[in-house]
Amino acid sequence: MESLKVYFLIANRMYGDGVRSGLGLAVENHYAFPVIMNGAFPPFSTYMKDNIAWVKDMEGSVYSCGAPSPDTCVDEEGDKLIEEISLEELGEALRDADYIIPYGLPKQTNEPPLSCAA
Amino acid sequence: MKILQVYRSEPNNDIKTLVGILNRDREADEFNLNVENPDYDMLVAKIIAADQTVCWW
Amino acid sequence: MAADPNKFAIFVNSPQNMRHVVGIANAAVKAGKQPMIFFTYKAIHLTKDSRFKALADMCGEENIAICADSYTCEGYDSVADIPAGLSNKQMRTQAFHGAQLEECGNYIVL
Repeated sequence: MESLKVYFLIANRMYGDGVRSGLGLAVENHYAFPVIMNGAFPPFSTYMKDNIAWVKDMEGSVYSCGAPSPDTCVDEEGDKLIEEISLEELGEALRDADYIIPYGLPKQTNEPPLSCAA
Repeated sequence: MKILQVYRSEPNNDIKTLVGILNRDREADEFNLNVENPDYDMLVAKIIAADQTVCWW
Repeated sequence: MAADPNKFAIFVNSPQNMRHVVGIANAAVKAGKQPMIFFTYKAIHLTKDSRFKALADMCGEENIAICADSYTCEGYDSVADIPAGLSNKQMRTQAFHGAQLEECGNYIVL
């Protein structure tokens, strides 16, 4: 089985799980590219940072599209783990994808209340 | 390359931009799931006919 | 293994599309395809939908599964509360999604 290029598009703050799902394919010898859209970043727990670093180690990449890559997600040397990509660059990259997975829910149009804000 | 764009909700500008790039120089089709009674038989036929299906949020 | 044109994958990760999951799975069967369905993350709540067992029975044990970790993370008991229509063999990992990509000639995300 050839390795497949699979993009996970994450538009909703509750769907950082797309990184884990991507990692699940990476360990099956596919190339995973989770893309966090418009700053809908998940909380960067140690678990999440480790998953992002692992996706990179498996020749994939985690991208931020539409927002600067956060300073709160860095490796041991302080380098950012998430790469920035423009919407147009993302579109061109998706043309080369074997599978495109809009993951979970669309972006919310309203702000979450304090009780659930990350 | 035949690509099928499926919409579960009204596409926003980001989706429209990505779809425009993805469909460029390709045979493209679309299907709107955001209706009361989608024709699932037609959708399945379109998926079978396509080389790639993208089902947007 | 080459993807089988007679297998139809549905990768379910949103909790709000059960009518589409059921509608597409039924239409795939009508078209002579074998559905292969994986529920992950918050979509595992759909296992509590009254339509889930019939869907599981239609697909068969080898062709429908859920992410056991997601089920547990969402608060369900993945040992004592296996969803109706499933066995413990169908409490799987993201590798089942990998199998969908490798085995199925048709694929949709919901």
